[in-house]
Amino acid sequence: MSRVLGLTLFLGGWELASRARWLDPFLFPPPSGVGWVIYELVRSGQVWPHFRVTVTEALAGLVLGTGTGAALGLVCAGFRPLAEVVEPAMALLNAIPRVILAPLFVIWLGIGMASKVALSFLLVMVVMFFATYTGIREVDGRLVERVRTLGGGRREVVREVYVPSVTAWVASGLKVAVGFAFTGAVVGEFVASSQGLGYLLSFAQSTYNASLTLALIALVVGVILLLFWGFGSLERWWLRWKPEYRSRRACPKALPRTVRPAEQVP
Amino acid sequence: MSALRIRGLEVRYGSHRVLGGVDLELGEGEFLGLVGPSGCGKSTLLRCVAGLVQPEAGHVEVFGNPVRGPSPEVGILFQDDALLPWRTARENVALPLRFRGASPREAQEQADRWLRRVGLEGFGDHYPSELSGGMRKRVALAQVLAVRPRLLLMDEPFASVDAIVRHVLEVDFCRLVAEAGTAVLLVTHDLEEAISLCDRVAVMSAGPAARIVAVYQIPFGRPRNPVTVRAENEFGPLVRAVWETLQVEVARMGWELSA
Repeated sequence: MSRVLGLTLFLGGWELASRARWLDPFLFPPPSGVGWVIYELVRSGQVWPHFRVTVTEALAGLVLGTGTGAALGLVCAGFRPLAEVVEPAMALLNAIPRVILAPLFVIWLGIGMASKVALSFLLVMVVMFFATYTGIREVDGRLVERVRTLGGGRREVVREVYVPSVTAWVASGLKVAVGFAFTGAVVGEFVASSQGLGYLLSFAQSTYNASLTLALIALVVGVILLLFWGFGSLERWWLRWKPEYRSRRACPKALPRTVRPAEQVP
Repeated sequence: MSALRIRGLEVRYGSHRVLGGVDLELGEGEFLGLVGPSGCGKSTLLRCVAGLVQPEAGHVEVFGNPVRGPSPEVGILFQDDALLPWRTARENVALPLRFRGASPREAQEQADRWLRRVGLEGFGDHYPSELSGGMRKRVALAQVLAVRPRLLLMDEPFASVDAIVRHVLEVDFCRLVAEAGTAVLLVTHDLEEAISLCDRVAVMSAGPAARIVAVYQIPFGRPRNPVTVRAENEFGPLVRAVWETLQVEVARMGWELSA
């Protein structure tokens, strides 16, 4: 509620400041003006081809990056010598701002969608690699032992312990990865492209069109928030056993009534 | 036939000799308490019987069969109630039944029956994080008893709950295990708990190379109430006798007393 109020105040103040010319409306167009630009973009259908391109690139990067990262993490966790090569490489990739590789991908793969998918893929893959790799290595040894002593074999240990604990890590990794997937696509387009929201952004910037720039930023943010919400709900459902995701069910504090009161036991 | 027979058991972790020739025997349906200074190797002994640790020498037999790994006849309850956090109480209890080939429906029904027996009727759909410490212990107990083990190994099972919950758990535990006729090997730091629950109490020496130094017969019959039995006349002298033996071992550890 306070967040809605804060946002309303912020946008309202901006609108007022821009209309009263306290802020230069050329640089800070009022939110209503930006809203109008978004409406026009959508109504005229101009934005759709670009929108489709960017979302396709981001989703392709997300799917490929998640698959590859998870598979690599899985193999590395199971095979030590490989981990010793791959993990430092991933750590390095994680440490550098990976978007600096964008120009390289353009040279290698051209200005089409491939270079954007590659950048998006790289950003996502590193995150998902660490989510999976750490997830497997952080598996609670006590639970493994518990399942074994309860009569579970190798398959049961994987199914009952490894899979659920790793998916918990992957689920939280996915939320970060969604943002990264769009970063990759948009930044890639920004560097060199002929279509996509990043291309439109770059066009808006070169024509000093602040309204269009803000409208496009709002569109990208909107899509990411929508995906965030989707993945967030999925995560809350999938990890419903975690106390922090617990539905508002009362936590029973009282001792359960015993079947037979203690006094009756001789 | 004895439930458990240990002969000349030796265990080594690297160059550290943990157990140096342990002999112990446990009759069918008998409760045996094992006390000893911290770090003396009680838990290691238990893990040997559970088939989780390979001994260096000696042998361990459960109902006449040498131990080669986790066995369906042996149930284990550790201090940390390691329930699967992503499974509900019912699913946790049903788990070992499913491992043994019960159909999902059958396993669920039996799990519900066991939850009722440990006093958790209506909590089947709760996740472990939604239950109190004492309730989680009850789920763990139902889980381990559901497959009707003939020997139950317990390592400080009631250590992490408060004193009142602990007494209630002890009472319920005694009743359930006595009904099932399970033999119990109970490792504990708590002398009084060992005496109040068990038929015999064995004292282990300070490590390294720990052995059993004395075994005390506990004269109280069963079924008994492990809380009220503490008020019996013989209880005090027994605590003193076991403590005197234990004290010597604790003193041998030195750092234990100065700590």
